[in-house]
Amino acid sequence: MAKLEQFSYDNAIVRKFAYASIVFGVIGMLVGLIAALQLIFPSLNMDLPYTTYGRIRPLHTNAAIFAFVGNGIFMGVYYSLQRLLKARMFSDLLSNIHFWGWQAIILAAAITLPLGITSAHEYAELEWPIDIAIALVWVVFGINMFGTILKRRENHLYVAIWFYIATWVTVTVLHIFNNLELPVGMWKSYPVFAGVQDALVQWWYGHNAVAFFLTTPYLGLMYYFLPKAANRPVFSYRLSIIHFWALIFIYIWAGPHHLLYTSLPDWAQSLGTVFSIMLIAPSWGGMLNGLLTLRGAWDRVRTDPILKFMVVAVTAYGMATFEGPMLSIKSINAISHYTDWTIGHVHIGTLGWNGFLTFGILYWLLPRIFDTKLYSVKLANSHFWIGTLGILFYAIPLYWAGWTQSLMWKQFTPDGFLAYPNFLETVTQLIPMYAMRALGGSLYLIGVFMMVYNLYKTVRTGNFIANEPAEAPAREVYVAHKGEYWHKWLERKPIQMLLASTVLILIGGLVEIFPMMLVDDNVPKIESVQPYTPLELAGRDLYIREGCLGCHSQMIRPFRSEVVRYDPNDMQYSLSGEFIYDRPFLWGSKRTGPDLHRVGGKYNNSWHYNHMYDPTSMSPGSLMPPYPWLISDDLNASQIAKKISVLRTLGTPYPEGYEEIALEDLEKQAKIVADQLRAEGVEGENLEQKEIIALIAYLQRLGTDIQPVPQAGN
Amino acid sequence: MFKYILESAGDINWMAIFALLTFFTVFGVSLYVIFRRDKDFIDHMANLPLEEEAPQPNGRAAVN
Ligand code: HEC
Repeated sequence: MAKLEQFSYDNAIVRKFAYASIVFGVIGMLVGLIAALQLIFPSLNMDLPYTTYGRIRPLHTNAAIFAFVGNGIFMGVYYSLQRLLKARMFSDLLSNIHFWGWQAIILAAAITLPLGITSAHEYAELEWPIDIAIALVWVVFGINMFGTILKRRENHLYVAIWFYIATWVTVTVLHIFNNLELPVGMWKSYPVFAGVQDALVQWWYGHNAVAFFLTTPYLGLMYYFLPKAANRPVFSYRLSIIHFWALIFIYIWAGPHHLLYTSLPDWAQSLGTVFSIMLIAPSWGGMLNGLLTLRGAWDRVRTDPILKFMVVAVTAYGMATFEGPMLSIKSINAISHYTDWTIGHVHIGTLGWNGFLTFGILYWLLPRIFDTKLYSVKLANSHFWIGTLGILFYAIPLYWAGWTQSLMWKQFTPDGFLAYPNFLETVTQLIPMYAMRALGGSLYLIGVFMMVYNLYKTVRTGNFIANEPAEAPAREVYVAHKGEYWHKWLERKPIQMLLASTVLILIGGLVEIFPMMLVDDNVPKIESVQPYTPLELAGRDLYIREGCLGCHSQMIRPFRSEVVRYDPNDMQYSLSGEFIYDRPFLWGSKRTGPDLHRVGGKYNNSWHYNHMYDPTSMSPGSLMPPYPWLISDDLNASQIAKKISVLRTLGTPYPEGYEEIALEDLEKQAKIVADQLRAEGVEGENLEQKEIIALIAYLQRLGTDIQPVPQAGN
Repeated sequence: MFKYILESAGDINWMAIFALLTFFTVFGVSLYVIFRRDKDFIDHMANLPLEEEAPQPNGRAAVN
């Protein structure tokens, strides 16, 4: 036995991340609640640009994913990594840079998203300077983690650490690829990929953000904290290893299930479906492994709120990972996609799996690092029950809403007409469900407040152990009889892990994505599809700024019910060739409002003008927020030349030198739109300079390239 | 005959086949490696989170 070494664990960094997770959990959920209420009471949009639904929604998703769960991951990783490796974190300085850097990024997100600064890639909305900051902080985290692994006192890496390593690698790759963009200015960029390709990369990212940010790190936490809380080892360590390799390999392929029935080529859709269904196996293996860890301890589950939280978390993981593959089956996806079903599904994962596991860990961990007991077990039990009720009240009404929506969208009368031709009818129908969902969210949030109070009281009575003393033998020079070679091999084991998981996830990524990028046939060209005019481009960027894609899709799937409903000429679903100049793609993921891909020409300009000013004036009872500032504010077209040249660099065929006359063209077209508006009776000073003009130009352009005659070869 | 089979297989993208094959390789290798390990090693690994460590404060029984 080697000599015992004295050292200490850094609890201060754990406490910081724990507090940050709690604070941002509360804020993120509050913002979510506001967004939920806005769908019931549109007046809560407050007629302010910064607080409209389209801008608030990404704020909520980013806060929940990256601030609440993100800080939760780091809390758990910093606690468990040190103990599993019997070593203090590699560098206190790096720990703190990581912490403050991450919080600065969250702050930047909280400022830029309400300002409408967004790349429109869901869950990757932040603009390029912040993307770079994220990459830097992530690298700091990586160095700190691998540094700790290298100076460890325990030879072997417990499976939780494998999950942490895979998380780190994959998030790095995903983040880089999905944010390849060319800046136009400090706060605006265009993605390198366009249309279908952009969509594929985005949903490869989007899905794997769920996989490798919300799932794998939390599985690592489960494999550490569940045995800790239950005080017994994991049910089967062998199963956990198989769970690990199968999961990371399969997950990376599943992205295209977000794009079923879209213009994505069939082979990519099929890959997404097959791998999504295969995912059930490792996911359920992991869930059972977690639940069976409690075998023989179920009597304690009844009294211990921590175990209760963890049991429901793992069960929610199981439910979500069963539902996910089901939703990836094309015929089910035809019903579920674009509806609120997806939102319900996501929240089983986030509220149940991520939220409850985080709460369980917080209740377990904070008393320990404060050398005390939990203030009130009873209160924690109440939190558990109200939280569980909250999840049910959240998810069930949304499942219902999803079905209702979908059935109404697809319903035909015996004579072959849409039974509910007015989209709004299918929306107002949902308001009671939305109200119940908001109630569910409120219950859940009340539970969180109870936890905040409980933990506050706990912390007050405790004494914080910033540096927890520990001792362990130095890492043995590995068993001699295996020889030098083995020793070296093990030394390098973390690095091998890193390489192996990188290779695995790259296989999935590259095989799926590269053919899309390289093979031209995958996106059949359509002659009549032309680049946007400068004014339309400016309008499109307003559409992005306002987050219209939070409610509107631009992807008519090849169903009769959709073509009839969304194409005023009743002719054509969306074709991949129509999107080749779309940077970024704006297909959206949910239809709280109707699809807009063929809205061009459906209404006259003044309809849009009035509708944007006050949607209820044109569509009584509409939930859409009013956008009065689009009508009062002047369009800032100062970047238009730069935009044109950036887009040309990326491959949009604007003629050489066009940027010099782009502004002139923009003003010319604005005058035409404004004149039409005046002719239709709209009054207003300097109409042609207003933002609304650009937005109308864009809306009227949508889907008109291939009308009236659909192109051959489709 | 073979040509016919190959041609109809053309619909199943080579990528799908490649993906499935690599998956089964990964799966097989991880099964092989983990079941070759002896029980002592597995027990040691499974108990890693539990073998704590420093003077645990009275928090150990916090809520049990
Ligand atoms: C909170 C969700 C929501 C947001 C955000 C939203 N809309 Fe809507 N939108 C709706 C709903 C619901 C309708 C259907 C009722 C109506 O006509 O107002 C609609 C209808 C429309 C229509 C009419 C479509 C048709 O075929 O009748 C247009 C055009 C439109 N929205 C444009 C926009 C634009 C542009 C933005 C962003 C500036 C936006 N919407 C943001 C919910 C939303």
